[in-house]
Amino acid sequence: MEIVGTLLAIFLSGLRGATPLLYVLLGETVTERAGIANLGVEGQMLSGAFAGFAATVVTGNPWIGLMAGALCATLLSCVHAVLCLVVKANMFASGVAVWVLGGGLSAFFGIPFVGRRIDGFVAPDFGSLKDMPLVGPLLRTLTPTVLLALVLWAVLGWFLYRTRGGLRLRAVGESAESAATMGVAVMRVKWMAILGGGALSGLGGAALSVDQVRNWIEWMTAGRGLVAVGLVIVARWNPWLALPAALLFGVVEALTLRMQTWGVPVSSYLLSTFPYMVCLAVLVWGYVRARTRGGMPKDLAQAFARTE
Amino acid sequence: MNRRILTLLAASTLLLASCKKTDEAQAATEDRVGFIYVGPRTDYGYNYAMDQGRLALEKDLGVKTVFFENIPENAEVERVMERMIADGIKIIFPTSYGYLDPALNVAAKHPDVKFFHGGGFKLAPNLGTFFADIDEVEYLSGMAAGAATKTGKMGFIAAHPIPQTLRNINAFTLGAQSVNPKATMNVVWTGSWSDPTKEAEAANTLADQGIDVLTMHVDGPITIAQTAEKRGIMVCGYHADASQFAPKGWVTGASWNWAPLMEKIVKSVKDSTWTSGHLRGKLSDGYVKLASFGPSVPESVKPKIDSVKKSYETGSKLWSGPIVDQAGKTVLAAGDTLTMEKVESMSFLVKGVVGSIK
Repeated sequence: MEIVGTLLAIFLSGLRGATPLLYVLLGETVTERAGIANLGVEGQMLSGAFAGFAATVVTGNPWIGLMAGALCATLLSCVHAVLCLVVKANMFASGVAVWVLGGGLSAFFGIPFVGRRIDGFVAPDFGSLKDMPLVGPLLRTLTPTVLLALVLWAVLGWFLYRTRGGLRLRAVGESAESAATMGVAVMRVKWMAILGGGALSGLGGAALSVDQVRNWIEWMTAGRGLVAVGLVIVARWNPWLALPAALLFGVVEALTLRMQTWGVPVSSYLLSTFPYMVCLAVLVWGYVRARTRGGMPKDLAQAFARTE
Repeated sequence: MNRRILTLLAASTLLLASCKKTDEAQAATEDRVGFIYVGPRTDYGYNYAMDQGRLALEKDLGVKTVFFENIPENAEVERVMERMIADGIKIIFPTSYGYLDPALNVAAKHPDVKFFHGGGFKLAPNLGTFFADIDEVEYLSGMAAGAATKTGKMGFIAAHPIPQTLRNINAFTLGAQSVNPKATMNVVWTGSWSDPTKEAEAANTLADQGIDVLTMHVDGPITIAQTAEKRGIMVCGYHADASQFAPKGWVTGASWNWAPLMEKIVKSVKDSTWTSGHLRGKLSDGYVKLASFGPSVPESVKPKIDSVKKSYETGSKLWSGPIVDQAGKTVLAAGDTLTMEKVESMSFLVKGVVGSIK
């Protein structure tokens, strides 16, 4: 029984850690399926974390916080959309600009919110259930942002593979030219994909600051946006695989924290590389097994190959 | 071609816009004092406490100051120091532990500039160090935690295994064991002075295992204090008072008061009485403080804490033997005391601590 409790605790800790990643990962998957890479998600996530926290401080309502986070990051992703789609800038340079911009602006405007207190989502009263083994920890972990992430995962998986809109999105990423010939409004789809990715990365940031950490610290995402960009590749640009990929990272990270408390005689620095090593190993294993380019949208693959 | 120029312009404007202005009003007076922080000065923690000292210098001594935040502990900080010197700054406070060797490098090149490193234990003719005996307050804080814990299991979340953190973990644990000999301490390293996500998850992981008092040595105490409160366990703060973030679970905490020490340093440089050395602020001088007690601290332990505090003020030493390490080896025999050098290069964890220092 105790081992089950421990395993569940590690899994739930991993699920909490995976949640903000899952939002960003889903968003970046949508964007990249339209043939646009956006390294700016780190900055968008930060702007979402800041706006979410600030709006929650001001209104006292964490739901408004989540919406503010999504909105703020969507606005920031417009910068990427304009640079990539209107000015036709290099998408990687533009992404880095958005990343730094988001970090700098959120740090600047966040100063008055440092050290402020928010209550986040108030858990419903589960009565005696919350003291039950296994059930109690499960209920405590399934906060609104975790549940919303799971819902969005299912919705986006369905959207991408089961709807006309999803088909158009995928077609644009595979070959914008062919899609245009078929009468798809390529530009509109790309705009929507970038803005949608922006909204999701903002939700990820807000889930972090409003629900999980309930605190605002500049650059608080500590590289998690970029981790999500990497996980898109591990998940092979497939939204269904986004959840297992995010969970893989989250659970291994949770396990390394747990291993430290057991006193295993391994350097904590080495332990902290495990989530990255495991994801890398899965990536390599996946490529070796499938012997394909791993599901990368064709137009996006060209962006990497382009040498102009 | 046009497109490319436009792109470049757009990207560079964005980059410029996002760089924060920290060095405005660079009037070339030699009075200015430069500060370098490893994190944001608004972290409500280590850098915040240092910045309060900087603000006090401006207010009380009327000196102008310049500061740079978020400077990593590598060659970057050397560039920042060189830039300050090029701007005519003659007194620099590199406040983070990892700035010591870079500061020594720069100090060797600029003998006319004075450096004051926070917490290091190396010197140069123009580089001195400053710190305060926060470990004594950690010991007192540990006493309160040891009396408050029900399970006897405590957790410590810290950034890196360096002498400063080991010293605090050991002091806190020894304090707890002085009132509760069976108390144990689990250590989790986050690998970063500021990674709130990992801090929250480390706190959850510790709470999952029956640990009922948490404390920390990371830049800001808020995340861990709030997570402890949410999980219904207790918390001891660090750097700054975070009691409002854990009204039920607050035990107490250790915090800094750098202003008097920094003012002393700057005054001594100005009237040319400064000589290189290790300056350490004492508990009795008010350079470090114990926060107010929370509701879970039993009344019976408060007089004990007070008497230990008084004994420190009259010269009693925290680091006196016998002290036994994790493996059960005696690192300090009964009757001996650790020298300041040994204390500041501490590389062991005491008995009752679970955790790796590698």
